Amino acid sequence: MTLRALYADFVSTFGNVLFAVSLFVVWGLLTLVGVVVDQGQDPSVYFQSYAAPIARAILRLNFDNIYHSPWYVGIIGLILLSLTVCTFKRVIPARLPPLHAVKVEHMPLHASFDTDGDAAAARRRIAEFFASRGWLVRERTFSGVEWSFADKHNWARRGVLIAHIGFVIIAAGTTLYWARGFSGEIALLTGQTAQVPRTRAIIRLDRFAYKIAPIMTKSGMVYQPIDYVSHVTVTGNDGIPKQMTVRVNHPIDVDGTLYYQASYGFGVRFLVTRNGQPVSALSNRTLLEGESFEIPQTGRSVLYERFAPTIDRQTGMPTADPRVNNPAVVLAISQSGNPIGEVVVPLHSWIDLGEGWRVVPSRYTLYSGFQYRYDPGIPLVGIGAFVLLSGLLVSFYLLPARLYIRVDEVGPQRVRVAGAATTVKGYDVFENEFGRLMVALREAMAVSPRQEVHEHVFG
Amino acid sequence: MSLDEVLMAIALTAYVLGALALLVYFFSREEWLCRVGAPLAILGCVAQFAQLIARFELTHVWPLLNLYGSLSLFSAMSVAIYIGFAFRYRLWFAGGFVLALAAIFLAYGVTWYEGTMPPVPSLQSYWAKIHVPIVVSSYAAFLVAFVFSCIYLMKYYAERAFAGAGAARDLATSTGATIPAASFSVGAATGMQRDTPAIAAAAQAGNPVAAWLGALPSLAQLDVIVYRAVAIGLPLITIGIITGAMWAKEAWGAYWQWDPKETAALFSWIIYLAYMHLHTRHAWRGLRTNWVSVIGFLSIIFCYLGVNIWISGLHSYKV
Ligand code: HEM
Repeated sequence: MTLRALYADFVSTFGNVLFAVSLFVVWGLLTLVGVVVDQGQDPSVYFQSYAAPIARAILRLNFDNIYHSPWYVGIIGLILLSLTVCTFKRVIPARLPPLHAVKVEHMPLHASFDTDGDAAAARRRIAEFFASRGWLVRERTFSGVEWSFADKHNWARRGVLIAHIGFVIIAAGTTLYWARGFSGEIALLTGQTAQVPRTRAIIRLDRFAYKIAPIMTKSGMVYQPIDYVSHVTVTGNDGIPKQMTVRVNHPIDVDGTLYYQASYGFGVRFLVTRNGQPVSALSNRTLLEGESFEIPQTGRSVLYERFAPTIDRQTGMPTADPRVNNPAVVLAISQSGNPIGEVVVPLHSWIDLGEGWRVVPSRYTLYSGFQYRYDPGIPLVGIGAFVLLSGLLVSFYLLPARLYIRVDEVGPQRVRVAGAATTVKGYDVFENEFGRLMVALREAMAVSPRQEVHEHVFG
Repeated sequence: MSLDEVLMAIALTAYVLGALALLVYFFSREEWLCRVGAPLAILGCVAQFAQLIARFELTHVWPLLNLYGSLSLFSAMSVAIYIGFAFRYRLWFAGGFVLALAAIFLAYGVTWYEGTMPPVPSLQSYWAKIHVPIVVSSYAAFLVAFVFSCIYLMKYYAERAFAGAGAARDLATSTGATIPAASFSVGAATGMQRDTPAIAAAAQAGNPVAAWLGALPSLAQLDVIVYRAVAIGLPLITIGIITGAMWAKEAWGAYWQWDPKETAALFSWIIYLAYMHLHTRHAWRGLRTNWVSVIGFLSIIFCYLGVNIWISGLHSYKV
């Protein structure tokens, strides 16, 4: 196969709308995989949720992180490639069709009627009729036959192009974030100061507050969070500390990087003792939920799973009440990496880990989790979204149509007007309007009552 | 009973009665049933919007932030869009299906009624007032498209059945029962049944089912209706996804988090994008695009209800 034939094959495949639709199908299915399969979990989670061969397949095929998998990036790449080829090979050329003669009665949408007058006058009236309705009228002669062409919404033929360009701009904006942007999370205990990685900002959590309202609903008491707010002191590039508040839906902007209220939790200081003596190396840390520590020489580790703000006084089990009334921590203990059990330990109480080791959750401090993000692609994505939407509206609501009208003399001072129509969306959508137009045209050309309209809409 | 509960009861009753009247109208073509069903549809729809407003006035909580409120808007918008189509293109015949679906979704929404709850912090945003109605309206437009796609497919397969071996037999055994006279038409359509010749032939030979089918709009007209409904839904869901992304950006820090809800909406968007592209090809327009519209609506229901109920995501604030 020559290079030229290969290129032609490539163009005809990638420029085909059905190929594009096949790509959409694959894109849709991959997206659906991401909806159904939990993303970004630990491999063990998949083995717990699915049969082993399926779990293995999920991991091997990157279905656990599908949106960043080669498949996903690849399909978007193919779509962009196909879109580009199609735009240059089909959309742009097809959108500016040349004027040419047609076989009127072979077109699915056609109609004809006879009227009085000579051909030149009839053509003039036809031109006036369409021009007064906002159609662009042009006249041409092909093989000795004079044709009138009326075009409507010709410019709207570019709607598809606009929509496609919008999509490409969005893709470019997203790529810009991948290339130049960054994001991350940072959790700060009350009173703690930290420098945010990749920005030079220094942020200190002065205080975190949350509001929870108990609400009686039909199915019982619900504790509804109402507000989360972090009072912070931030030092940006200018070196001047500023006090700010971060709330959900109200991020702060520090030197172009945005900080969002993302989560909150309870940091707990654990006191670790051996034979009643505090082991200072382990006792000075405050752990966030999800962190763990090892008990030396025992092979045991303690995971601070989560904080239970209120436990039931009778059963000792955590309740749904998120207000801090009778707090405890939930710890998961493992031995040489194998989980051996979960325990609920009230604050200031203790758990015995054997060989003289005890762990006491001694006090808690609120922490606030921030998401920070620098995204230089946002303006592009915004412009792309706007362009895409404009393209969609133009493509869907403006219907570029062309009427081909020929006038033939059928007798002295008698002409036959034959019209046919095409649109960029086929014939069905234009059927009613075409019928109305031709009837109105016939009336405008002052047809006498004896004469019949030979309407052959759809032959 | 408070005002909003009264209005809700009126809406539900109107939908159920209207659905019954219009469904019987669909099969019997008795004009008076249409004259009963159509006002009931309008009454139910008006009562529903009044209910949403009354609820907002009574509680001062934006009423669309739970399934109860959003399903209520969904059914109200489905009926509203349908009424627009019915007036514009004379499509009252399909109203029974739309109203029945609206009643089902509304009744299901009522089962989620929990009383008044203030919204969680991530929902306390003006975006809630923009994003939710737009997305729900797009779902509603797709519901209307779905109903007409189903009618299209019914007629298409009936044509195939008549065109097949059954046609001759039907003609032979035709009872010659009275043919419903009314024909449903789209705008100033010619009423020609050119795309279902087997149905037309059987109808002429006196087959009552064929005559009944023949009086439905032509396949081409039904297809155009579906296209027009999708052409409302697709830009709306696009704006919905964009405004959702803008809201997500404000609430969570990233306009796209691959949250199951976002991605399910993207999935539906891709399906309708495929619909639009297939629809540009003559050979694929009709049977295939209407199947895509049916699948698209199923995906919408999955995105709307399935994801909320089965899959948890960022829509609950991490505590
Ligand atoms: C694989 C990539 C794509 C290819 C090859 C492709 C190709 C095409 C072609 C050839 C048409 C015009 C068909 C005709 O009128 O003859 C079209 C229409 C259209 N495309 Fe695409 N397209 C692609 C992706 C997209 C994307 C991602 C979007 C939107 C984000 C989009 C939006 C549209 C719209 C709105 C129309 C007009 C449909 C109508 O008027 O009914 N396309 N596409």
